[in-house]
Amino acid sequence: MKSAQAQMAAAPPQVRTRRGSGLFTRIAKRYDLYLMLLLPVAWYLIFQYGPMYGLQIAFKNFVASKGIGGSHWAGLEHFTRFFDSYYLGRLLWNTLSINLFSMLIGFPIPILLALIVSEIQNKTFNKVLQNITFIPHFISVVVIVGILTVFLSPTGGPINSLIQGLGGEPIRFMESAGWFKTIFISSNIWQNMGWQSIIYIAALSGINPQLYEAAKMDGASRLRRIWHVSIPGIVPVIVILLILDVGHFMDIGFEKILLMQNNLNSEASDVISTFVYKTGILNGEYSYTAAIGLFNSVINLTLLLLVNRFARKTAETSLW
Amino acid sequence: MRKHWKRTAMIATIAAGLTLAGCNSGSGDKKEAGPTASASTENAVNESGFPLVKDKITLKMFTRIAPSNGPFKDMPVFQDYEKMTNVHVEFTEAPTDGFQEKKNLLFASNELPDAVYRSGLTPLEATRYGAAGQLIPLEGLIEKYAPNLKALMDQNPEIRASITTPEGHIYAIPGIVTLNAARTDKKWINQAWLKKLNLKVPETTDELYETLKAFRDKDPNGNGKQDELPMTARAGVPGQGIPVVNIMSGSFGLDQQLGYNINLVNDKVEIWMGSDKYKELLMYLNKLYKEKLLDPEVFSQKEAQYLAKQASGNTGFFFDQTNNPFRDIAVQYVGISPPAGPYGDRLQAQAAPIARDFGAFAITSENKYPEITMRWIDYFYSDEGSTMLRFGREGENYELKDGIPYYTEAFLKSGNQSKITPYAGGGAPHLISDKVASFINPPQVQAAQDQLTPFMPKVKYGAPMFDEQTAQRVNVLTNDINKYFEEQSTKFIAGALSFDKWGEYQSTLKKLNIDELQKIYQDAYDKMKK
Repeated sequence: MKSAQAQMAAAPPQVRTRRGSGLFTRIAKRYDLYLMLLLPVAWYLIFQYGPMYGLQIAFKNFVASKGIGGSHWAGLEHFTRFFDSYYLGRLLWNTLSINLFSMLIGFPIPILLALIVSEIQNKTFNKVLQNITFIPHFISVVVIVGILTVFLSPTGGPINSLIQGLGGEPIRFMESAGWFKTIFISSNIWQNMGWQSIIYIAALSGINPQLYEAAKMDGASRLRRIWHVSIPGIVPVIVILLILDVGHFMDIGFEKILLMQNNLNSEASDVISTFVYKTGILNGEYSYTAAIGLFNSVINLTLLLLVNRFARKTAETSLW
Repeated sequence: MRKHWKRTAMIATIAAGLTLAGCNSGSGDKKEAGPTASASTENAVNESGFPLVKDKITLKMFTRIAPSNGPFKDMPVFQDYEKMTNVHVEFTEAPTDGFQEKKNLLFASNELPDAVYRSGLTPLEATRYGAAGQLIPLEGLIEKYAPNLKALMDQNPEIRASITTPEGHIYAIPGIVTLNAARTDKKWINQAWLKKLNLKVPETTDELYETLKAFRDKDPNGNGKQDELPMTARAGVPGQGIPVVNIMSGSFGLDQQLGYNINLVNDKVEIWMGSDKYKELLMYLNKLYKEKLLDPEVFSQKEAQYLAKQASGNTGFFFDQTNNPFRDIAVQYVGISPPAGPYGDRLQAQAAPIARDFGAFAITSENKYPEITMRWIDYFYSDEGSTMLRFGREGENYELKDGIPYYTEAFLKSGNQSKITPYAGGGAPHLISDKVASFINPPQVQAAQDQLTPFMPKVKYGAPMFDEQTAQRVNVLTNDINKYFEEQSTKFIAGALSFDKWGEYQSTLKKLNIDELQKIYQDAYDKMKK
């Protein structure tokens, strides 16, 4: 984008005189730039907008041999089935609550970590701390769930050994609905806080040091400096990241939830995305699950619009 | 000169475009013409004998490969059979893990192979894909080109009943098991421990409870530690029932007819998932679970863990079809009869029908040689063909003793037994009769089966075939019902849900329309009886 603007500015003056002569002339003049644009546009068309054609099966009874276009219309039948479903309440509640709690608890922690890192003066300690919090991000989800299973095992897992050592009864963490959300969310935080703090650390280092010096001169304590200089300095970044997070509100953690799910905790772990996978892909009910997926996306979009609007009004920062 | 070059290039492009378009419409026509007007005119199928066809043909098949199998193209059965038949089969192998997913995507994308082999299609899938024209009806082909299969179906009419749709079509062929012992899970108890503790074989559920308690407390393995595992079972696949429930249900008078949780009482279909007897079964299992007699990992363990527990010899009571997983310590175990329940019920309810593996083989609409394909698969429904499939090459892999094939000792020592045959891992389309069962049905397993046989129901009805609309409805109903049933049962057994909530459980089943499901099964059963 920047280079495009630079070229525009450097364009010879006679171009300006012919500015009004139609879109195509302008495109022809700058064909090289438009060619560069072609690739991302094609990517969006093919991989993002193209598949939307298939969304219509949510309103049809999809039969593969008749194709997407040729299948018969079913109207809102699949939506009604989902809204009448026994599992609707539970799916919605779990999807919303897991994501909401993840965000409420998980969102501030990387910010805190970034503040701590930026305040620590000892370079070596700083680097070690950053690395330790950073590395878990690169472990695959399957391995993480494996680690959780071993650590939380009621027979010989370190956590339960500790509980038994202190005279308690072993807890079956992985097979209890009550513990599911706690384990899911806290392990997520542990895994991702280092990674997510990177952007905040970068934003913090961009704050003008003179502001800190001025605050110091005015006698501001360390906490005061954080509160009045650091945090206001990174608020725009915080808001943007919050909006981006809300954009993924309904679909985070599918693989991990699926891997942790079993009959004993499904009361708390059954979410829309795993339900779609199980009925759609495993039972071959494509139309029904396409309807559920569409419903999910609509909620997602609504949330994103709401948060964006809210952010524009209150923090004067927004995606658009 | 340059202009000329440009023109040539243009003409060439247009010509190429037209040719391609021609190709496209050509292949499209072929598809519409369907399988009946196939190419068999040029390369006719031989009505009988081998080879099946004069000029070599290639068939593409999609199949499931179990963890213990080697590549299909290296299996002696397919190498030798290719020479015999002049039919080359190209297998696309999908591992057992995630197979269901791959199979569904195959049909959803409509990029079909010529046939699906060992495909485990469900009745719903067979009906759905058959009605959509992706699978072709086979009843005519069976009549003409499958003498072995036809003979089996004539001898056992229930096979035909359980694979024919109400419209009279057969879209998939099952794996057929005439050997009783291959249709049940035996109840293996640790007789070494029984002897050591001076106990006799438990005859009732109460005695079983006492026996398991003794296993737990009295240190039968003699290492001074309470580390014995009194009882365990498979964890099961979501949507397909809970194995430990299925295994024990017979002792509480709960049969499994029509491939579902159904009792047949005077021609009335009764789904027992909300019945009082089922509650008692759950309470019994809950008692075992609470007192750590039933393996705490019974709902979460992986197949490999379960097999390892069998082989460890440190397990008191478990269930499996054969003694193969614990072959080295087999003498330690003995198969017992189902224990009698509190009301004297004593039934071996867990038993597959003769058409054990539904949907093991099907031919798609892409297939240009359906007749040859049918003749190709039919051979495996003879004892001869089944021997080839299960035992490989004579001399190299097996030898005949009194006409019965046995693996050679040398071959068994190589540890490759399950690599060379597609039956290992289950679900292969072929016949399992007593002629080919020397390995899976040694005397010990036969004795264990003899303990079960007197308690097996007289007739075992397989899952009925519904018409497409009903099948869809059944699918909608059972999706929700099975999920709820399995979840709540698991919780009742594990004690995560108290039995005070039983009334709530029953009323939710009602809300999920279990009565409608019962009515559908009743109708299907009435039709079957006619």
